[in-house]
Amino acid sequence: MNPLNNGRSFWATQRPLSRRSLLRGAGVAMTLPWLSAMERAFATGPTGSPKRFVAITLGLGLHQGNWKPEQSGFDYEPSPYLKNLQDLRRDMTVISGSSHPGVGGGHRAEASILTASPQGSSGRSRNTISLDQLMAKHLGDSTRFASLVLSANGSDSPCYTENGAMIPAMNSPRAVFERLFIDDTPAARALQSKRLQQGVSIMDLVGEDAKDLKRKLGAGDQDRLDAFFTSVRDLEKRMQESEQWTKRPKPKVDAKPPVDVGSPNDVIAKQRTMCDVIKLALETDSSRFITFHLGGAGGVVPIPGVEEGYHNLSHHGMDETKIAQLALVEQAIVEEWGQFLRSLRDTKDQNGRLLDNTSVLLTSNLGNASNHDNRNMPVLLAGGGFRHGQHLAFDQKKNYPLPNLFVSLLQKVGIETDQFATSTGTLTGLS
Amino acid sequence: MAYGSETMAAPLDQHRILPPNMQSRPILGELQTRFDVAILLAALLITITCSDASNADDQVRSFITNHCTDCHSANSPEAGLDLENLPIDLQQPGDALRWTRIVDRVASGEMPPKDVERPKPDLVAAFLSSSSESIRTFQKKEYEQFGRVPARRLTNLQLERTLHDLLGVDIPLASEMPDEAKTGEFNTNAAGQTISHFQLESHLKVVDLALDEAFRRLIADEDDYFKRELAPKDFTRTRDRCREPECIDDRAIVWASQLIFYGRIPATTAKSSGWYRIRFQVHSLNTPEKHGVWCSVRTGQCVSSAPLLGWAGSFEATEEPKVVEIVAWLPKGHMFEIRPNDRTLKQAKFAGGQASNGEGGAQNVPGIALDWLTLERVHQGPTKQEVRERLLHGLPIDVVGNGPERSVVEGNPKRGKGDARGEPTVVLKSAKPEAHLAAAMTAFAKRAFRRPSRPEELQRYIDFAVEEYRRTEDLSQSLRSGYRSILCSPRFLYMMEPIGPLDPHAIATRLSYFLWSSMPDDALTKAADENQLRTKEQIHKQVDRMLATERGKRFILDFADQWLELHQIDFTEPDTKLHPDFDIVVQNSMLEETRTFLMEAMSTDQSVADMLLSSNTFLNSRLARFYKINVPLSDRVERVSLKPEHRRIGLLSHGSVLKVTANGTNTSPVLRGLWVSNRVLGDYIPPPPENVPAIEPDVRGATTVRELLEKHRSDPSCASCHVKMDPPGFALENFDAAGRWRERYPAVIDGKVKAGAIIDPSYTTALGESFRDLNDFVRIAASNPRKLGQNFAAKLIVYGTGAPVLFVDRAGIERIVDESEANRFGIKSILYSVVSSDLFLEN
Repeated sequence: MNPLNNGRSFWATQRPLSRRSLLRGAGVAMTLPWLSAMERAFATGPTGSPKRFVAITLGLGLHQGNWKPEQSGFDYEPSPYLKNLQDLRRDMTVISGSSHPGVGGGHRAEASILTASPQGSSGRSRNTISLDQLMAKHLGDSTRFASLVLSANGSDSPCYTENGAMIPAMNSPRAVFERLFIDDTPAARALQSKRLQQGVSIMDLVGEDAKDLKRKLGAGDQDRLDAFFTSVRDLEKRMQESEQWTKRPKPKVDAKPPVDVGSPNDVIAKQRTMCDVIKLALETDSSRFITFHLGGAGGVVPIPGVEEGYHNLSHHGMDETKIAQLALVEQAIVEEWGQFLRSLRDTKDQNGRLLDNTSVLLTSNLGNASNHDNRNMPVLLAGGGFRHGQHLAFDQKKNYPLPNLFVSLLQKVGIETDQFATSTGTLTGLS
Repeated sequence: MAYGSETMAAPLDQHRILPPNMQSRPILGELQTRFDVAILLAALLITITCSDASNADDQVRSFITNHCTDCHSANSPEAGLDLENLPIDLQQPGDALRWTRIVDRVASGEMPPKDVERPKPDLVAAFLSSSSESIRTFQKKEYEQFGRVPARRLTNLQLERTLHDLLGVDIPLASEMPDEAKTGEFNTNAAGQTISHFQLESHLKVVDLALDEAFRRLIADEDDYFKRELAPKDFTRTRDRCREPECIDDRAIVWASQLIFYGRIPATTAKSSGWYRIRFQVHSLNTPEKHGVWCSVRTGQCVSSAPLLGWAGSFEATEEPKVVEIVAWLPKGHMFEIRPNDRTLKQAKFAGGQASNGEGGAQNVPGIALDWLTLERVHQGPTKQEVRERLLHGLPIDVVGNGPERSVVEGNPKRGKGDARGEPTVVLKSAKPEAHLAAAMTAFAKRAFRRPSRPEELQRYIDFAVEEYRRTEDLSQSLRSGYRSILCSPRFLYMMEPIGPLDPHAIATRLSYFLWSSMPDDALTKAADENQLRTKEQIHKQVDRMLATERGKRFILDFADQWLELHQIDFTEPDTKLHPDFDIVVQNSMLEETRTFLMEAMSTDQSVADMLLSSNTFLNSRLARFYKINVPLSDRVERVSLKPEHRRIGLLSHGSVLKVTANGTNTSPVLRGLWVSNRVLGDYIPPPPENVPAIEPDVRGATTVRELLEKHRSDPSCASCHVKMDPPGFALENFDAAGRWRERYPAVIDGKVKAGAIIDPSYTTALGESFRDLNDFVRIAASNPRKLGQNFAAKLIVYGTGAPVLFVDRAGIERIVDESEANRFGIKSILYSVVSSDLFLEN
């Protein structure tokens, strides 16, 4: 399929909510943050910088010997991958010895990176809402796009709705750029607006029909109808919100539209190109919750010295020549991540450095890709206004629950909750 | 005996190397089953009288305690299986799946393991009988309560074809939908389908595209479908240093070169999106001695900001001029590119990324010359009159067409300009607008919902359209809105079937989505209306008719796209250093090989066993050259008889299969073996147990794959599966990741490819039969055609009904295979048995 055509993965939300609404999601109960949805939407002159979150997720992990520093605390010696990121040392935290409790299944745990939800191998288990989507659900209504779900290749993403449906990623930086910054013609906007309005009525209609149908169906089909019904209601709300946005011009940027990277193997160039667009999206406040997934592409990454496919290299079986080649790829990924952080550091928003209002997470479901171990996940966190500078080294054998970091991240963006999935508190050592 | 199992969702790969096309793909159930177990059990049921339930439970419990819990204990459960705490009375679907595995492994004699004391045969039989019965009882009860198949959502392909058939449009729609979740072998499997507002949003977008096109067709001028005749001067370059063909001696010349977009023809740029037929006369230049100049025809914007090219076709240019004709979809602004595309040719190099006049000609490389070219916009679908019929259902409604439709419908034209879509301006006039609106809605809903509806079920949809009419007095818009609401209905989007025997319309729907991936046509609907789908003969009569249609002839291809993962063929790009003669033309020739082979197998009712043993295949001259098979061929695939020296035998040696089972760079016997076992042989390999810590592979000291796997298998919990999946993988080791025959592994030394270790394809199957090579192996596999037939039947059931084959369904599969035995388990015979089986006709 044409990857340029999968531009479909975002909707702005602008949900009118009462201040005292109790929000429920993924077993989380929370009260609304400081500003009600009605006030936030289209707010001019914000009373503080918006808080943002970017997750960069990897499908093939990072080789532990190369990313994890040996010492813990503030005075750690930089690991090989972090050597060239020392100018960012005070803006980032390295977290080792943490993982999602109960999550296994090797590559399959990709689905759990941001949901922390165990995906059982039997029975009818299904996924739960991902961290970014939970943020978008409650706070996404201030921007044109509640969230952006992006990837280097394909449409797989670690982002899930409450129903456990994966949100397909956009993988063309060019298409994302156009969605963000290129205005449609007035006639097209009028048509969009008309169709969105009518779409709301249709969703209402088919939702009612689904309710009727459900009464006549067997138990097996009722579940399916419920999921349909929820999706209909979600879309109805989102279309109402999008309809408002069609009336407003998109922000203008100086940057030229990016050129998509042709080779599926050049994941580094893909990461760089997409991160440039992510930065523009943050800078223009087009979206505040963005995920970029770099899955385990199979091809040979075009870096001098790399001769085998990326996925193959990740199964190095302790073979030193493979590890050496793998390190070239992974180092490039981490350094591109560093470049992205620098671009946020050097960009100002209303209240200072963009980086200080943007939490940027780099992680993977695999702590050891060679044996598909989901423990000891690589975790690098930067920005967001946390107290950084340390290597928080937790127990390699008895891992610290990573969902605690997710709670800290939720609180940082302004969601008053004290739980996410299997969390036991907030992450100690960040504040 | 091997064993089978079913699982709802399982990790595929815990500690093994997976290529990207196989990674993180849980298996949803459509698994192979082991029927010997069923036979054994059936026999047992005759001889053993089951006592009451608690007695049976005691039997099971005592067997477990005496023979299993030494290893599978609560404290240190071997392979993660704690049999002390596994409930004997099944509560959850997952319990039944776990018990299925236990039963299968005990039945096959794998458990208890060989090195412990064996239980007496009558004890084993009693245990198997009781536990099998309890699995069946549980699953039967689940089916009675929930039905076998939950409501299925239309897949992307089904949605596209259904909208085509409903509205009479022919535009691509599936590609506008999000990729489908890769949660199992078949995307028709309901358990793997999810729904979200994103999914619905895309659905609505596709519905709008289809409706816009249908309403545009109502008023489209036929002269819209122009034909353009171009002489070389009209479609060659107008300036020096560019990538268009060069005009020399009144011919359009393109040389062999790797320069991107070289051979693009801006004169073919589509002013509006549509299907275009391109015809041209071409011959080769500087023709190589032994073959012609193979070329590709592709489509795209052909600019660096939009580098992707779509495949349209290929041909071999020879010194004798020939006419080539290709039909392809061109989105607005896209053009054709025609160029030599054969990596084995000497390639021209162009300085500075543009081709100067005369620069290619001076390098004495092969090339092509086009004498003329025509471009025509065409329809794939029904005529304008038929579109009118489908939208207006013969009602006395006048179409007052006007308006510059071409300028308004077109979406997203030039990149960077945003959406510029408008609406077709169709005016409909009727003497009784509200009555006609209601009648049109009712007629449309019957087709869209694939069954007659009661008036009250349609009322809210009709009201919606009528209210819009009252508000706007615009009949065309109101009709469009009404159809839009119908196409968003769960009654359209889902196939919802009654529990128990299917009603005639549900049967018609299953049949048409199974064989056509689309809605029932008028004849099938009529048969359902008249209750003419009751008997096997009636159903088979419809199937005869359906398979004879163009779409029906391609049924096996729709199925094999997923069964053999042929839709994944372009997922990897073979490393050009390791596979220098592989290119896109070769890849598409491989698809053509397998597709032609499968269509032939279907039409001649070949068995899977014969497909594995076949000494016939279908090659064009490019693929034959790639395979190093020296027979005179053209650019159309033809039947070729394979000789021993060609080193190929049957389906498993098709380049397409060899490519989708590798990662583009190198091969893994484990991955290929797993794929062949699960998909073709019916030896279902379960995923590694989840709660067992992964084993750190340490391959230092192991140099070949064989040694690596020997090391890996020294762990018994690895060995139990590898002993089954590795053999087919080793048998295929003589074929590289691009599908070429090889005798040595490549060794990359200082960036140069050299000959490495000699490949040893010999091995021993799980049952202890040793084989020397692929030839031997497929003979062993084909010696059990019944098993291969069971596997094929199970795949058809999963694909055609949308639910996995569980333990309780095995008897049904067995009956299907019994029926086809007289025809040597031919795949067409199996298909006919499937459509008249209880599994297919009940829910």
